[in-house]
Amino acid sequence: MLAYVAKRLALAVGTVLSAVVIVFLLVHASDTTPGAVRAGAGATAEQVAAENEALGWNRPLWVQFTDYVGQLVQGDLGTSLVDGRDIAADMADRLPVTASIALFATLLSGLVGVFLGVTAAVRGGRLGRLITTGSGVALSLPAFWVGILFVYLLSLQLGWFPATGYTEFSSDPLGWATSIAIPVLTLAVGGAAIIARTAAAGMREALTQEHIRTLRAMGTPRWRIRYVHALRYASVPVVSTLGIQFIALFGGSVIIENLFALPGLGQASQVAASSSDFPALVGVVVVATVVVVVTNLLLDLVVAALDPKVRTP
Amino acid sequence: MSVLPLDAADEVATEPVPPARRRRGLPGFLRRPGGVFGAAWLTFVIVASLTASLWRPFEPGQQDTANRLALPSAEHWLGTDPLGRDLLSRIFSAGSLPLLSSALMLVVAFGIGLPLALIAAERGRRVERVISRVTEVFLALPATILLLALIGVIGNRLYPVMAVLGVLISAAVYRVLLGVAQSVRQRLYVDAARVNGLGSLRVNLVHVLPSMATVVAVQAAQLFGIGLLIVAGLAFLGFGPGEPEPSWGFMIQDASGYIYTSPWLMVPTGLVLALTVVAANELADALAGKAAAARGTGRRRRPLRRAVAAAAVPAGAPADPAAVLEVRDLTVSVDDGPDLVTGVSFSLRKGEVLGLVGESGCGKTMTARSLMGLLPDGVSVTGGSIRWRGRELAGLSEAEIDRVRGREIAMISQEPMVALDPMFSIATQLVGPIRRFRGVGRSEAKRIAAELLRNVGIVDAQRVLKSYPHQLSGGMAQRVCIALALTGEPELLVADEPTTALDVTVQAEILSLLRALVRDTGLSVVIVSHDLGVVADICDSVAVMYAGEVVEAGTAAAVLDEPAHPYTMALLGANPHVPEGEPVPERLASIAGTVPPPGSWPTGCRFATRCRFVQEKCTVPFPVLPAHGEGSVLCTRVDELSREHAVWEPEHAGDEIASPLAPPAPVAGVSS
Repeated sequence: MLAYVAKRLALAVGTVLSAVVIVFLLVHASDTTPGAVRAGAGATAEQVAAENEALGWNRPLWVQFTDYVGQLVQGDLGTSLVDGRDIAADMADRLPVTASIALFATLLSGLVGVFLGVTAAVRGGRLGRLITTGSGVALSLPAFWVGILFVYLLSLQLGWFPATGYTEFSSDPLGWATSIAIPVLTLAVGGAAIIARTAAAGMREALTQEHIRTLRAMGTPRWRIRYVHALRYASVPVVSTLGIQFIALFGGSVIIENLFALPGLGQASQVAASSSDFPALVGVVVVATVVVVVTNLLLDLVVAALDPKVRTP
Repeated sequence: MSVLPLDAADEVATEPVPPARRRRGLPGFLRRPGGVFGAAWLTFVIVASLTASLWRPFEPGQQDTANRLALPSAEHWLGTDPLGRDLLSRIFSAGSLPLLSSALMLVVAFGIGLPLALIAAERGRRVERVISRVTEVFLALPATILLLALIGVIGNRLYPVMAVLGVLISAAVYRVLLGVAQSVRQRLYVDAARVNGLGSLRVNLVHVLPSMATVVAVQAAQLFGIGLLIVAGLAFLGFGPGEPEPSWGFMIQDASGYIYTSPWLMVPTGLVLALTVVAANELADALAGKAAAARGTGRRRRPLRRAVAAAAVPAGAPADPAAVLEVRDLTVSVDDGPDLVTGVSFSLRKGEVLGLVGESGCGKTMTARSLMGLLPDGVSVTGGSIRWRGRELAGLSEAEIDRVRGREIAMISQEPMVALDPMFSIATQLVGPIRRFRGVGRSEAKRIAAELLRNVGIVDAQRVLKSYPHQLSGGMAQRVCIALALTGEPELLVADEPTTALDVTVQAEILSLLRALVRDTGLSVVIVSHDLGVVADICDSVAVMYAGEVVEAGTAAAVLDEPAHPYTMALLGANPHVPEGEPVPERLASIAGTVPPPGSWPTGCRFATRCRFVQEKCTVPFPVLPAHGEGSVLCTRVDELSREHAVWEPEHAGDEIASPLAPPAPVAGVSS
């Protein structure tokens, strides 16, 4: 068990390091230099060179890299080339926005998806086919298009939620909830569809297992067979997919935050990409990779808790 | 959307298809409506987009200022945008970029993932580990944000960006294809090809790749849809071709600004994009054949045709007043299909053990499972009666038979290792039924569970209670299964090949445990087996089954010592177990051919095609004859055979080679 944990941790650290190396090399392969970005358009070559010198851009690559990693482990992600703000502090402000949207969307996907998938597998027939086809369509819909549809329906037509913008939880909890409602619903459409498919496939497989026949031969009540035994069997793939969903929704937040003007990580990465704000870019990649890696580690723990074959020797 | 539901692909069938099994004519996926729609729409979009410059009614940048934000009309079929540009022309002019760049992503992803999977599957464990570790890192990278970082560095160039995405996705492709490649490589025909000296490249090209074709096609279709969504998502964020060039993502972004005044604007573009992605996914599903699997899961049982009538009429043979179980003329059939079991009758007294014997596919398991109403979906009892202690079980509803299951009749199965729920401890699995059947509290139930385990010969009951099924050995698991079956204190135990999956020494232990239970508790047992040794060991009476019917029945001693039916003789002649004190035969007898499948049984004797004693009269129907006192035999020549002292002899050495050439011998007439 200890060796397993050590291996997972090593892989996690390796993943984060690879991400840092990749973006670091990318930035250095670019035609644009950070000095040019900081000096702004219309700066002379001398001004750009001076900025680059000040930023340490002309030092050997490995020196810059070890420097960056050294700062990274202390939680220092540098400052923005565009407005000089502290990247780490900025990320700390933005992470909760993205994380809460991705988390609620994952939870909602899980609830709706498991309900639909189990219904499809257990009831079968016309309803099952309807759910299967419907989830096939739902997972193919572009999130930004679904988002606009929801804005049209829930905001413009029904007036339930604001169309865009973000309210701080600390200033107005109810306003916060309504401000993330449409983004969460939008992300949950595709998520629920994928979970529904996984849950349906898992339940169908579970119900054909030999041990289910043993339970039937024991006269076990049908609800117990379905919702205790078969669902428990199907829970491992469902939970794994939920973890992957969280990661995917986290990435999907780039578009959602753009659409709904939410101050999250996705928005930061879009702004950084369009303005070539290199430290901000590297910062976003590092934070996103850490989130992915931590989610994967947690996922492993949850799966181990669910599946006795993983948990016990 | 930048969601990468790659793992949804895992649930799609990743079973390799051996080349030989592929059908000719129309490919399978085109027989499903989803596949037809997917293929048709994708073809339409691709052709229409690539040829847009030839047929489009307007140039994509041409402004019709009089008709801004127009609804569909004869002139503008899909309406116009805020600058009065024709939406139809713009949508299809924009199509080729996402289609081609997604195709590029696919080429890169498979160009890397497929060879890596083949190499990893071929070169063995160490190489596979290295490649797998690297791909795991790739899979854990946040793809969308990395793509944005790439755009931030190299600028707004879609093809290189999608190529890099292809590199990232190749890790997922590798992971799926590796599993397939490994399982294909384990197939015998691949081994055979290697033994025959085919080079590694040729083995891959000739044998492995064709088997992976379906999985590759499924993956490609799904990833194509994902690629389209990503290209559109990037354009939506402004990382696409800039104005005035049209792009799907930016057109939707544009539409979002006019949603208050012209909601129609978002419909055509969004619909074309969504339909294209739906088409790719539907095509993937159809290729994987999943649409078929989703159907027919609803349970629908054909009502019992003849059971009630048959039960009302006095059965042919006088009912045994001492019998607890009386099966008469039982027929089991596939719904709207052939019969699997016909006219099976037997009875069982308290404390008696009955063996149902025969080759695989002779209907013995179906017979046993029908006793508890546990037939597979689509199979049901369609005639005859199953009287259990005076009550008719055939045709009972699920709820009614549930009250019999476990309490009166219990079952143990062939595969003890998978018969227990892998997710729960043994204690949980025993305590539940004990509480339900005996109405006791949790701690009392725990005590009873430990006692039951000790009764089935488990010494370390406390440790086993805490264990999970995967921690038990096969013999131990079967003991637990027997303990589980005893929780409801049943009077009849149906044991379906209870020892087949176990080691020989464990087999003997389990049989003696069953014997002890019968002796101590008066349990009646129906034991299904293909092993005559098991039958001789434990059974009081035996019913030999062949092709869905009982061909010989009687006490175990009578049937085994003086078999009357040629099939029983053949089974005994083929039995490798030799009673102690008798000489080991030099050769074992064999039975040519296989059991005919249901639906193709011959009229008259169903064993006729394989019987050495077959004659003309065997092919016309004939009645069951009494034999072995209270038993029966289903052979029209039984008296002649008994007079001739017929024996099913082992073949002489060389017979196997000579027989196809030699003219048919007078007695062994039909051998084909």
